[in-house]
Amino acid sequence: MSGNLERRYRRVLRLLPVWYRDKWEEDMVAAFLDSWLTGDPEDDKAIGEFCRPGWGEVASVAGLAARLYLGGAGAPRRYFAWGQAIRGAVLAITLVQATRGLDVLVRTAWGRHLFGWLPALPARMVPGTPGGILPPIVWYLVAYAWIVTFVMLVLRHYRVAQVIAALAILPDLLFLLHGQFTGRFLAPSVGPWAFWVLINLAPVLAMTAFHQDAPPPARWPWMLALPANYLLVPVPLLALEATGNSAWVPDFSGLYCLLVALVCLAHVPRAWSRQAAGSGVWSLTLALLAADAGAYRLFSIADYLHDPHLIGVSLAELVILVIAVALVAPDAARAQAATPAPAPASSPR
Amino acid sequence: MTAKPMTGQAFFVLTALADGPRHGYGIVREVAELSQGRVELKIGGLYGVLDRLAVEGKIEPDREEAHDGRLRRYYRLTQDGRRALAEEAEIRAATARLVRTRLGLTGAQATG
Repeated sequence: MSGNLERRYRRVLRLLPVWYRDKWEEDMVAAFLDSWLTGDPEDDKAIGEFCRPGWGEVASVAGLAARLYLGGAGAPRRYFAWGQAIRGAVLAITLVQATRGLDVLVRTAWGRHLFGWLPALPARMVPGTPGGILPPIVWYLVAYAWIVTFVMLVLRHYRVAQVIAALAILPDLLFLLHGQFTGRFLAPSVGPWAFWVLINLAPVLAMTAFHQDAPPPARWPWMLALPANYLLVPVPLLALEATGNSAWVPDFSGLYCLLVALVCLAHVPRAWSRQAAGSGVWSLTLALLAADAGAYRLFSIADYLHDPHLIGVSLAELVILVIAVALVAPDAARAQAATPAPAPASSPR
Repeated sequence: MTAKPMTGQAFFVLTALADGPRHGYGIVREVAELSQGRVELKIGGLYGVLDRLAVEGKIEPDREEAHDGRLRRYYRLTQDGRRALAEEAEIRAATARLVRTRLGLTGAQATG
């Protein structure tokens, strides 16, 4: 009686992981059909043959599937490990963006003589804006928006963070599209697009992994990571720039590769010690970050095709990254089986 | 560590089970009625909530009944679920009292 409608709904339910379908599919189908069928044989025959699950219903199943694959409480260890690793990687990339925002904030304030006790900042070190169709204020707001996004994520206001980040990546998209269609970029420019997709869009989409079933991020360690990261990366770079020694400093992509490689190396002793609880999830997080950084490095080489020296430097950065991540990769693979299980599921069956 | 706050959907689902076991669609209908149509649960959303409440030990399966050739599974509150619902209801009632006091409303004004 409910043939086609039931078949269509079961097809939608294939979005869900197998372990979840084993547990809930029959129940969901029964509840779904109850919500459609009227008890009148004629009507039910027509409904079963011609009706389809509505978009709202499909969206609710898709949302549930995303939450389950990006595991929270009750999810199998593999999904839980991936969910934790994705959440860690998103926090790390957002931290990098927020640190860049903090750097813009400090340089702008310094350039406007708000730190009276410091010598004046050379004009070449005051942050510029890409220009284009958007006024400079937009670019400053974009930089600061990442600081707000990071803080909101750490304070567990996940949807607010995702909305702010989604708005913050729009000006870059407009800039790229405008440049591409008006001929501002001479050739299809791979690097800026790779940046937008891998450093802007990917973390915004992956913020879906922060859902109510997921364990919240550790508040204070991540909050302190922002000033610490600022002191460790932009401050030394600022000093090099101020002293005129910035020529050998890698570009953003190279810096990203080297930073991830350094963190991998620092994590190796923990990854190799079998007793270190939870190290596998960190290894998986670093593997994800390495994939992101490596992909960005690879794509952005396209912008250096005119310079064999820069191609060589970029490839060297890539090799360093690959070697470093290879050292933690076995631990990352083990993580999928060895992550401590979240709250035990009390099966309804 | 503080307990996670209960979501509106979980609150309504637990309330729907407070006076006896219900099956999936029965819960959807009861939640719509309790919330006067403000909370309209989709099936995917309902089973996300039910799975979470089962994991937390707040609900459990009660029985299965055949209906039109399909099995309907009924769920009921556990003792933990009953306690959690009572605590949440108390928190919400206290908040509502506070709001009424701040707005300077008496009971009659608040409902009228």
